[in-house]
Amino acid sequence: MNFASVIRRIGLHTDLRAMGYRLAAAFAICLLLAVSSDVFLTTNNLLNVLRQASLLFLLASGLTLVILTAGLDLSVGANIGMSACVAGTVIKLTGSAVLGVATGVSVGLSIGILNGVLVALLRMPPFIATYGMLWVVHGVTFWFMAGTTLYGFPPSFRALGSGYFLGIPIPVYLMFVFLALGTFFAQRTTYGQEIYAIGANREAARLSGVPIAKRLILVYAASGAMAGLASLVFLARLNSAEGDIGEAFTLPAIAAVLIGGTSLFGGVGTVLGTLIGALILTLVLNGMNLLTIDANWQPLVTGVIVLLSVFFDTLTRKSRDARK
Amino acid sequence: MKIKFLAATATIALLSSAAHADGEKIAVFTKNQTNPLFASIRAGADAAARQMNATTQQYVPTKPDNIPEQMSEIEDVIVKKPDAIVFIPVDSKAMVAGVEKINAANIPVVNINDHAAGGKFVSFVGGNDYELGLETARYLLKNLGGKGNVVIIEGVRAASTNQNRLKGFMKALEENPNVKLLTKQTGNYQRNQALQVMENLMETYPKIDGVLSANDAMATGIIEALAGAHRQALVIGVNGTGIAEIKEGKLLATGDYAGFQQGCLGVMIAIRNLRKLPVPDEILFPPTLITKDNVQAYDIADDKRACPKWEDVVKK
Amino acid sequence: MNDSSIKIMKSPAFGASISRVPGVAWILGLLIAGFALANHDFLSSPNLLNIGLQSVILLLLALPMTLIIMTEGVDISIGALLTLASVVLAWVLDHEGSLMLALGASLLTGLVFGVVNGVLVALLKMPPFVVTLGTMGVVEGLALLLTEGQSIVVRNDALHAVYAGSIGGIPQTLLIGAVAYAVTHWLLYQTRFGTYVFALGGNPEALKLAGVRVNFYLIAVYAFGGLMAGLAALILTSRMSSGHPTAAIGMEFDAIAAVVVGGTSFEHGNGWLFGTLLGVLAVGALRNGLNLLTVPSSVQVSCIGLLVIVALLIDSFKGKK
Repeated sequence: MNFASVIRRIGLHTDLRAMGYRLAAAFAICLLLAVSSDVFLTTNNLLNVLRQASLLFLLASGLTLVILTAGLDLSVGANIGMSACVAGTVIKLTGSAVLGVATGVSVGLSIGILNGVLVALLRMPPFIATYGMLWVVHGVTFWFMAGTTLYGFPPSFRALGSGYFLGIPIPVYLMFVFLALGTFFAQRTTYGQEIYAIGANREAARLSGVPIAKRLILVYAASGAMAGLASLVFLARLNSAEGDIGEAFTLPAIAAVLIGGTSLFGGVGTVLGTLIGALILTLVLNGMNLLTIDANWQPLVTGVIVLLSVFFDTLTRKSRDARK
Repeated sequence: MKIKFLAATATIALLSSAAHADGEKIAVFTKNQTNPLFASIRAGADAAARQMNATTQQYVPTKPDNIPEQMSEIEDVIVKKPDAIVFIPVDSKAMVAGVEKINAANIPVVNINDHAAGGKFVSFVGGNDYELGLETARYLLKNLGGKGNVVIIEGVRAASTNQNRLKGFMKALEENPNVKLLTKQTGNYQRNQALQVMENLMETYPKIDGVLSANDAMATGIIEALAGAHRQALVIGVNGTGIAEIKEGKLLATGDYAGFQQGCLGVMIAIRNLRKLPVPDEILFPPTLITKDNVQAYDIADDKRACPKWEDVVKK
Repeated sequence: MNDSSIKIMKSPAFGASISRVPGVAWILGLLIAGFALANHDFLSSPNLLNIGLQSVILLLLALPMTLIIMTEGVDISIGALLTLASVVLAWVLDHEGSLMLALGASLLTGLVFGVVNGVLVALLKMPPFVVTLGTMGVVEGLALLLTEGQSIVVRNDALHAVYAGSIGGIPQTLLIGAVAYAVTHWLLYQTRFGTYVFALGGNPEALKLAGVRVNFYLIAVYAFGGLMAGLAALILTSRMSSGHPTAAIGMEFDAIAAVVVGGTSFEHGNGWLFGTLLGVLAVGALRNGLNLLTVPSSVQVSCIGLLVIVALLIDSFKGKK
C-alpha cells in the first residue's frame, strides 16, 4: 500500500491540490502576521485563535454536510440563540450542567429536523425553508427571553468554553474530535458517500437507490445538532446569553465552509476544508485586531477573502477539467 | 351589513372613550428586543401607565435597531392616533424625519433615553452619558490610586451614547495624569466582540490595570476574557444592567442608566401633559454609581418595582 | 426553441394558467380580510397608502430579483447595494445640492456593482450566492468606511418630496413603483431580453447553441438589479432625509422571500412578476396589520417566518412542483 493509495482511501472527494493551496494560504497569513505583530506568535494568542476558530468550526461542520447536498441552512445563527437560551435556563433552574448540555443539543437537533422535514418531505427550497425557520426560531426565542439576560453558570459547565486541559482550551479538543468524526462520517461511511452522491447528481443518486429524503433530513439534523453544541460552547465561554446571541455567526459560518472549498453546487468539499476555512477567517480577524485596524474594515476583508477563494477554486476546477 | 358593523363599532368606541376620563393610549417606541435596558424601560412604562389608569402599546422593530422599520412603525401608529408617544430613536439623526411626521400629526411626543437630533418634544428624560462616563471612570481611577495602565473599550463609534461616554472617560483620564491610556478599541457594544478584543489586547499589553467599558454587556465579556487569562484588572461599565457581576465582585461599578425610571417618567410626563398638568422640559438623571456597597437597592426584578412618585422627582 | 413556445412563455397568462394564483393570492386575501375584521383602521385610505408606500422599496428590489432567480441565480448583495447607493446619494446631494446629480451617482453606484456581480457570475462562472456574499461584504464595508458608521443628514425639498409629495394627486413614490413595475414587465414579457431570461433558467444550452450571447444577458440581469437598487436608494434616502450605512442590511432576504412566496421558483426558471408584487404586498400588509394590532414584536418576528413557510407549503400541497 503506497502513500498515494492511502491518501486516495481516506481522501475521497478531497482535492489535495486545493487543500494544499489553502494550507499554504493559511500559512502565509500566519507568516504575515508574525512579521507585522510581535504578539501574534505567542502561545496565548495562538490558543486564542484556535479557540475562536473552534467555535466557528463547530457551527460550520454540520453546515458543511448540508452544503454538500447542494443545500443551505440560514437558520444556524437563530438556532444558536434558542439552544443557548433554553439550555441556559435549564441550567439555572436545575443547576445541572449535564442536563443543560443535553437540552442544548436536543433543541438544536429539533430545529434541524424541522428544517430537514421542510426541505426533504415538503420539498421547499432550502434557502427559503431555513430562512422562514430563522424568523420563527428568533421570534420564539425573543418571546421566551422577554428582553432579559441569563448570567452566571456553574464552573463545571463553563469549563466547556473557557476551560483548559493540559494547557489547551477545551473547545480546541472538541474541534479536533468533530473534525475526526465529521471526516470519518463523510468519507468512510455509506451515509457519507450517499451525501456526496446526492450533491453531485441527485437524480443518479435516486436511481441508484439512495434514500434522498432520509439523508437530507439527516444532514439538516446534523447541522442543527452542531449548532446546538456550538451554542453550549458559546454560552460557557461568555457566561451569559441573550436572545440574539449567535445571530452574527450565520454568514461567517457559511463563509468558512465556502472558503474551505466546499461548493454550493454540492458534491465537492470536506470537513477538513471547513476547518481550514474557519482558521483562515479567524486568523484574518485576529490579525486585524492585533494591528488595531478599524472594525469597519472587517466586512470588506471577509468579502474579499470569500471572493478570492471561490475565484481560485473556479480557476483550478476549470484547468483540471481542461486537462482531462 | 358592513355599515351596520362599522356603526356599531364606532358607537362602542365612542361610548368606551367617554366612560374613562383617563384611559389614554400611549405608544412607546424602543430600539430592540434583546438589550435588557430596553426591557427595563418598557417595564417602567407599563408600570406608570397602570398606576395612572392609562394603557401602553409597545413598538419594537423586528430587526434590531432597524431604521426603515421604526419609520414604518411611526407611520402605522399615526393611523391609530394614540393620545401620546414616548419615543427612543433607533438612530438619533436618521429618525428626525420620523419625529417630524409625529409632529405633523399633532401627537405630543416625549423623548427618552437617546436624544433625537431634531423634532419637537414635550420633554426629554434620560441620563447624561457624559456625566455617567465621567463618574464611573473617576471611580475606577480613584480605586487605582490614580496610577496605572488603562484601556478603553468603546461601543458603536457612531452612537451618540458612545461618543458622550467616551468624552467623560477622557476627561477623567485628564484629571489623573499618572494614569496611562494604552489604547481605545471598539467592541461595538457586543459581548463576544469585546471578549475577543480584550483577549487580543492582553497579548499586546502585558500590564493592564483597569478597563473602561462603554456598556455592561461588553464589560461582562471583558471580565470573562480576564478570567480566562488568569489576569486581574478593575472593570467598570455603564447601563446599570450588570447587577449580577457587581454582586460577584467582578465588576467594580456601573453607571446607572435608570432604565426603569426612564420608562416611568416618560409615560408619566406624556400622561400629565395630556391632562394639562405641568411638566418640566427635561429630566436628567444625576449620575449614580452602582457598586458593591449599594447594589442591594438595585437588585430588584423589574416586575417587582414601582415607579417613583412624581412629587419626589420634581423636587430634584 | 420555436416561436410559438416562446410566445406562450412570454405571455403573462402563462404564469396564471399554471395555477400559480392560489399560494400567495390566498394569503394576501386572507391577510387583508383578517386584518380588516380585526382592526377598523386597516382599510382606511391613510393606512392603505402607508402599506403601498412602505412596500415600494422592497418592490424595487424584488422586481429584478425575480429575473435573477429565474436565471437560477440569486443576489444577496442587493440590500448592501441599496445602502451604499443611499449613502452616496446623501453625500452627493449634501455637497452638490442637485438631486438629479445625486440620483445619477446613486444609479451609477448600483450599476457598477451590479455589473461586477454579473461579470463574476457569467464570465468567471462563480456561484451567484458566493459572488454576492462576497460583494455584500465589500459593499457593506465601503458604506461603513465612507461614513465611519454615521448618518449623512441632508435637508432638501426635492428629496423630501419623493416620499412625502405627490404629482397629480398620486404620491411620487407610488408612481416610481408603478413605473418600475411597468418597465420590468415590459422587459420580461415584451422584449427579447425577457425571452432569454426565461430561457437562461430553463435551458441555457439551447440559447448558447442558438448563438445568443448568453453572458451579456446574464450580466445585464445583475446590472438591472444594481440599477434598481440605485433607484430604491432615492426613496430610502428621502424617507429618512439621510443616508445611513446600515439602513437596508437584510432587505435582500426579504426581497428573495417575497419573490419565492410570489411563485417564482429557484429551480425551474419559472417566474411570475405579478406574483412578486403580491408577495411584496403580502409582506407589507402583514407587518402593517401586526403593528395596527400592536402584536408583540417577538410574535411579529415568528409570523413573518410563518408567512414564508405557509405560502410555500400551500404551493407544495397543490403539487406545483
